[in-house]
Amino acid sequence: MKAVRLSFMQMIKFMAADMMLLAAGVSPVLMGAAIRFGIPCIEGLLMEFTGLPRVISPYYGLIDILFAAITPAMFCFVAAMVMLEEHDDHIDRYLFVTKLGKKGYYISRVILPAMLAFAITCVILPICGLTEMAFIKVLFLAISGTLQGVIIAMLVVNLSSNKLEGMALTKLASLLMFGAAGPFFLETPYSYMLFFMPSYWTGMMVTCNNSLYVIPTVMVSAVRILILARRGRY
Amino acid sequence: MRMKNLFIWDVKFQARYGFYLLYTFLTILYAAFILALPISWKERAAAILIYSDPAAMGLFFMGAIVLLEKSQRVTAFMSITPVSAREYVASKVFSLCAISVVVAVIMAAASGSRSVISVAMGTLLASTVYTLCGIIVATKIVSLNQFILATVPVEIVGFVPAVLGLFLDLHPGFRLYPPVACMELVAGKEPSAVGMLLTILTIILLFWTACRLVRKMWQEQGGVKL
Repeated sequence: MKAVRLSFMQMIKFMAADMMLLAAGVSPVLMGAAIRFGIPCIEGLLMEFTGLPRVISPYYGLIDILFAAITPAMFCFVAAMVMLEEHDDHIDRYLFVTKLGKKGYYISRVILPAMLAFAITCVILPICGLTEMAFIKVLFLAISGTLQGVIIAMLVVNLSSNKLEGMALTKLASLLMFGAAGPFFLETPYSYMLFFMPSYWTGMMVTCNNSLYVIPTVMVSAVRILILARRGRY
Repeated sequence: MRMKNLFIWDVKFQARYGFYLLYTFLTILYAAFILALPISWKERAAAILIYSDPAAMGLFFMGAIVLLEKSQRVTAFMSITPVSAREYVASKVFSLCAISVVVAVIMAAASGSRSVISVAMGTLLASTVYTLCGIIVATKIVSLNQFILATVPVEIVGFVPAVLGLFLDLHPGFRLYPPVACMELVAGKEPSAVGMLLTILTIILLFWTACRLVRKMWQEQGGVKL
């Protein structure tokens, strides 16, 4: 446990030196403020401009889902970039043969940042969210966002052999978040095509107002994480 | 000849690391998205997508390209070959612009744009500007996170006025601003002549700066000044 803690602190120091720690800490708050105050303003302007009674407001639930996913995605992305650097600089393999081990390395680099992001999302989402949310909904949105963050980090780290492939995969992996738009824009038989994306089930949870959809979200995420953990390079 | 070899090497490098595969997939995805939009939205949506992704590809990937080359000692070898910084920078710009333009043309065709040549020209100019900005930032950084942070101001300065210009009637002075002039071309509008001239001057200035910084980066390999 001490090795995991030290490894996590070492990553935090590395991020602090790059100013990334400050950016990762501040940006969820800035984004939350922009969503809380900016989106209703834009909605007002669009209503005036188009003469329609509602333009963006039917999709406030979708914006909340994306907001719940963005903080974990960002934290896990930053951690994935650190891991890619360590892989290219051959530092990771030295860490594996220490007391930390592969498992401890993963915990310190992916799981701990994800847990931190989960806690931050649980605090910020009810304050900055655009829809009324019960605590259980906040919790489920934060869980699904965090699982997605973990998947993105593992996809990037396990399937890429260097920084460049990592960046390319990041671009693809971040598209996973947009599965949430499926239930908002596609009719039900067609939207099921997106069943393999955890965010699709989060979208279903919000559109159908049924918290039970957290179960497929967790299951699809777990399957992906397990596959990635087995097929990964570590 | 050297330039041609460098260009081929860059294209092979990008192919090996999945650029072509990635952009084939993204092009299909973007084209499908554009085709699904109502007709009145297609052209603007295509312009925003083209400007923010294929055109800005260099800004996103250049950090990783240069850092990978540094970790593979490619930049160290470059410094002792007859290859000049000018050729190195030009090869990077041409190879990335080629992908950007092909992707942009396909997306423009999907949007039903009647000015594909204008879109290609706008993408070429924007891609050149962003790739050069990417090289300039990449020569100064030591980690990917640093690069990502350092490109944020470039993205804000480059994207916000350009996207706003698509929807709002900005002051005519904004049309002289290179990102806005490029976006006008990408959106199939007629750009201002002065705006185009300033864009070309910006490219010359950025190219000169990038070459100077690449030369400096080559000279300072591993703490030793060559």
